[in-house]
Amino acid sequence: MIGTVRAEWTKLFTTRTWIGLVLGACALAGGFAALFTALAGQVQPGQEGYPPVGTQRYETLVFSVPAQTSALLLILGIIGMTQEYRHRTATPTFLTEPRRGRVITAKLIAYALVAVPFALAIVLVDVLVVTIYAGARGAAPSLSADNLQTLAASGLVLVVFAVIGVGVGALLPNQVGAIVGSLVYLNLVEPIVAGVGAIQGAYKWLPGGAVKAITSDFQAPELLQPWQGGLLLLGYGLLAAVLGTFLAVRRDVV
Amino acid sequence: MSRARAATVDPVRVEVRGLSKTFGAVRAVTDLSFEVEPASVTGFLGPNGAGKTTTLRMVLGLERPNAGTATFNGAPYVGLAQPIRTVGAVLETAFHPARSGRNHLRVYCRAAGLPLSRADEVLVQVGLSDAGNRRAGGYSLGMRQRLALATALLGDPAVLVLDEPANGLDPEGIQWLRGFLRHLAHDEGRTILVSSHLLSEVEQTVDRVVIVGAGRLVREGTMEQLRSGAQGSGTVLVRSPEATRFADVLRAQGTSVSQQDGVLTVIGSTTDDVGRRAFAAGVELHELRSHSSGLEEIYFQLTSGSEQFAAPSPGTTVAQEAAR
Repeated sequence: MIGTVRAEWTKLFTTRTWIGLVLGACALAGGFAALFTALAGQVQPGQEGYPPVGTQRYETLVFSVPAQTSALLLILGIIGMTQEYRHRTATPTFLTEPRRGRVITAKLIAYALVAVPFALAIVLVDVLVVTIYAGARGAAPSLSADNLQTLAASGLVLVVFAVIGVGVGALLPNQVGAIVGSLVYLNLVEPIVAGVGAIQGAYKWLPGGAVKAITSDFQAPELLQPWQGGLLLLGYGLLAAVLGTFLAVRRDVV
Repeated sequence: MSRARAATVDPVRVEVRGLSKTFGAVRAVTDLSFEVEPASVTGFLGPNGAGKTTTLRMVLGLERPNAGTATFNGAPYVGLAQPIRTVGAVLETAFHPARSGRNHLRVYCRAAGLPLSRADEVLVQVGLSDAGNRRAGGYSLGMRQRLALATALLGDPAVLVLDEPANGLDPEGIQWLRGFLRHLAHDEGRTILVSSHLLSEVEQTVDRVVIVGAGRLVREGTMEQLRSGAQGSGTVLVRSPEATRFADVLRAQGTSVSQQDGVLTVIGSTTDDVGRRAFAAGVELHELRSHSSGLEEIYFQLTSGSEQFAAPSPGTTVAQEAAR
């Protein structure tokens, strides 16, 4: 099993996909942190304004920014699984370890573990940008217990999304379909559920609602407690993994 | 490890028993049984679509048969402790195009717990060491086949299963592959199963053949047995100024003949036989030669069925074909 996990890391680091996705996530995290800092304190007529630098609301907002890049970690996990089908390497992979459940489990472990340093890097970029920029605007946030909790929650969201990605990839072996499908779901389906009054109550039970619960976004409708959101998200990760494993084990490799 | 065992490997016998597989309404493989012996090269032959690849993928646990088993010294592929140390497989060439050949091999070294140095050893073995650091996506078809073979050899397996390995190889590569497979079988005692849709491609390499047609076993045996069954049933080409008359004579004797210009193609006969009948009929011959080996004919006959037997022969015109 250790060998199979290490094989997954060798696969990941012998192509360049991870560099683009991790750098992209870092750039997004840094960019949004800078944007929210630049807008901090601005008042929008008729709407809630952006929280000013120095307030706890500002700090929670900017320290939950890393979680907003979770789609890229999701894509990392999806590619990690679906490239086996796309490039037909599923054949040598399953020839080397014919117990396919172990291969998928190894992939889940490998991507969960490798997502930790990736998430740390993304969180670090966010903290650096916020510390420097907000510091220049007069109030660099301290790494208080509240802020560390927000950062840790953001990092956890990233790791869980990488795991969900592997599960989604095992469910939908078509790479383009899996990526497009998940992005459509996250950016189209969930916002509609969140925005339509009659079904709004369901939103807090969806993955996006769980992320919002963890990162305490103030504009969202009624949400779960952060720890509940964390459990729910982990549950989605496991569900995708178990369903994906079940299907991948039964499917013929062609 | 590999060098210590280089002389001979522990023999592994492959047994296929009653394999069947359907895809929807299509019966790809039906009740197929055969054996593959150690220290020999077995050709797995049949036309395209005969179910060869499906069979090999079931033998390797990649597809689930509807019925039947395939075992290696009694154990199914998925039951082998470290399968790639027992069985190496060359199926369709499968690499991530952005990954180098060496890194591709290292992935499977890691997965199987083999030392990474095995990657370099097998690259040398298949003659790819200079290209090891290049992206596999830039490899020629022949280089891809060699990399697939290198992947199969990583675990120093006692059994090698190869699906159409000559595809994409140049004549030199095919020559090399023949020698390589014979060496692995005859000198090192490995069990080699190599599929092909062309008998002529593997005729010089294989010791035994398993011939399938439409997903069923057609013939299993040694090349000698196949050859003995092939005698007296070749195709003979005849050039004669009296071609039309001679064709009528032959047809009257119940022989299948096709004619184009002054050339007759006589099916299911020998040069001796046709020469004797030409002499008896007083027909002047300008050329009399065997068109193809009897072996090829019997393979064709075995896999196509007798009523289609003469259809694609070179003497048949499109009009005749349409009238059939």
